[in-house]
Amino acid sequence: MAVLTAPVVAGAPATARRRNRRSSPLATALRFLAGLIFVLAALFPLGWMAIAGFKSKTEVVRTPFQFFPEVWRWENYGQILEDPTFVRTLGVTFGGAMLFAALSLTINAMAAYVFARLEFDFKRTLWTIVITTMFIPGMSILLTSFIVVTRLQMLDTLAVLVLPGAASAAHVFFVRQFYLAIPMALEEAALIDGASRWGIFRHIFVPMSKPVFVVVGMTSFLAFWNSYVWPIMTITSPGLFQVQQYLATFRSERGSELGLLMAGSTLAALPVIILFLIFQRYIIGGIKISGLR
Amino acid sequence: MTLISRGARGSGPQPADTKTSEQRRERPLRPKRRDNVTAYVMLAPVVILLGIFVIWPLLYSMFVSLYDWSFYQESVFVGFRNFRVVLTDPQFVESVLRGLRFALIVVPSVMVIAFLFASLVKHMGKRAATLLKVSVYIPTVISGVITSLIFVLIYQYSGGIANWLVGFFGIEAQAWIGDVKLALPAIAVPAIWLGLGITSLIMLAGLLDIPESYYEAARLEGANWGKQTIYITIPLMKNIFLYLLITGFVGAVQQFELPLIMTNGGPLDSTLLPNLYIFNHFRYDIYVGYSIAAALLLFVVLGSISAGIFKTLNSEKAVDG
Repeated sequence: MAVLTAPVVAGAPATARRRNRRSSPLATALRFLAGLIFVLAALFPLGWMAIAGFKSKTEVVRTPFQFFPEVWRWENYGQILEDPTFVRTLGVTFGGAMLFAALSLTINAMAAYVFARLEFDFKRTLWTIVITTMFIPGMSILLTSFIVVTRLQMLDTLAVLVLPGAASAAHVFFVRQFYLAIPMALEEAALIDGASRWGIFRHIFVPMSKPVFVVVGMTSFLAFWNSYVWPIMTITSPGLFQVQQYLATFRSERGSELGLLMAGSTLAALPVIILFLIFQRYIIGGIKISGLR
Repeated sequence: MTLISRGARGSGPQPADTKTSEQRRERPLRPKRRDNVTAYVMLAPVVILLGIFVIWPLLYSMFVSLYDWSFYQESVFVGFRNFRVVLTDPQFVESVLRGLRFALIVVPSVMVIAFLFASLVKHMGKRAATLLKVSVYIPTVISGVITSLIFVLIYQYSGGIANWLVGFFGIEAQAWIGDVKLALPAIAVPAIWLGLGITSLIMLAGLLDIPESYYEAARLEGANWGKQTIYITIPLMKNIFLYLLITGFVGAVQQFELPLIMTNGGPLDSTLLPNLYIFNHFRYDIYVGYSIAAALLLFVVLGSISAGIFKTLNSEKAVDG
């Protein structure tokens, strides 16, 4: 996703759209209807999940189908929040995701800056190697990654969740595109004043990077929060269980408690939805085509 | 190299033959060595982590694929035997074909729906457009696990929404993910739901990139929406379509979380997508070489198909704006 999109530096110019002057009331109504269908299709499954969380065990899938519960019960939400495993899982996953996002932001931005601005030996070679890793499909290294982390005795540690995915060529590429658009003049003055390259990165580039950092940070956070396959391969101790892992395990062990499962899923989806709504301006505004035409 | 980079940086007004004192003052600006050290230090974390967790596993995959390797025994070199076994394994070949069928359901649906969405949003007021964009993007942040759990309930035979909905059209209740014929399209729906957001927004960005004056000129000539779409929008968005087609295709063929949780490949392997097949094989077979050879082969298949799509679309050189 990040490959060919680049963030807008300031002020999205995309709003230059013009309303069709000849639109009739009928056309407007049809457009409204079409819009409503899109919103419903996108949000219905999530709304249904949240509502199912208010239903009793047998009410979730009963015939005839009923959208709303007969009685709105808060028990499911209360009960799942009283489950210490679930709460710890949410906490551990959230902490891990924050750590992961911070780490990946730091190292990928540093690399992006170096590739955007510095001259050094083997620059082309290193760039080629880094970018090539972007095109390696996950499955062709998933199995041997597991063997590698086993050899490194990283199984069942926080490190196995945080370290393997932290360096991302796509993120390096994305941030670099942003840095290439920053005018050279800014740092030239600082260089003449004797500022170090690190100082320039830290005091000129990082403060300007908010829009791109939001997108990259959010992408990393989501990747960590939503990951399922890697945790089930590498994590076995309940203390490090990840939230998606918890939900899948809950389903296979206590599959009949559907209301409870939906309540848990809702609570697991809520943090990322809220985060997205907070930062939606950057994420949606950040999708801008560069060099595709 | 030093000279070029100096020149490129335009490091001050000093001519090349300045005095020693001037040169000393200028030195911090140009030395390549300092940049080398800073560059390597700042690159180190990314390069080391990519080296350990991407490049090493990749090289290791290539190595293991040539061996009869397991966790418990000494490995034996078998040359290309693993690849031969994979290629003659009907289950693997079928799973790849199934993956292609899955992609043929998912990708065109996502593209068409996203295009309609983008065309709609383009003609909306700013507020309505924001609301639509935010709504359609929300599924993108939802995990494959939660999506699977929701859709499994939607597809429940008795009491599921899917059967309730088709009931309105007089269609009898279906088993959906329990039905050999319907299971693959049924798991394609959540895949479409998950993939729509990003595709729509990229398409919208492309649509807004086309100068409005083109459409105005077309309208003056009396071209309707259909003609405008065929003669202006589609040719000008060719590269965006291409990009979305390739990424969508590669993504869809590799999908395996949805079938893993919703059906675990069943019923009767009808949703056993290639990556799920490889993953399950890895979990239940102690001889890893086979699974890894299959994964590498898939890598090659996907690569050539992407290249194929790219070539076909690229050969019809459209007029570029």
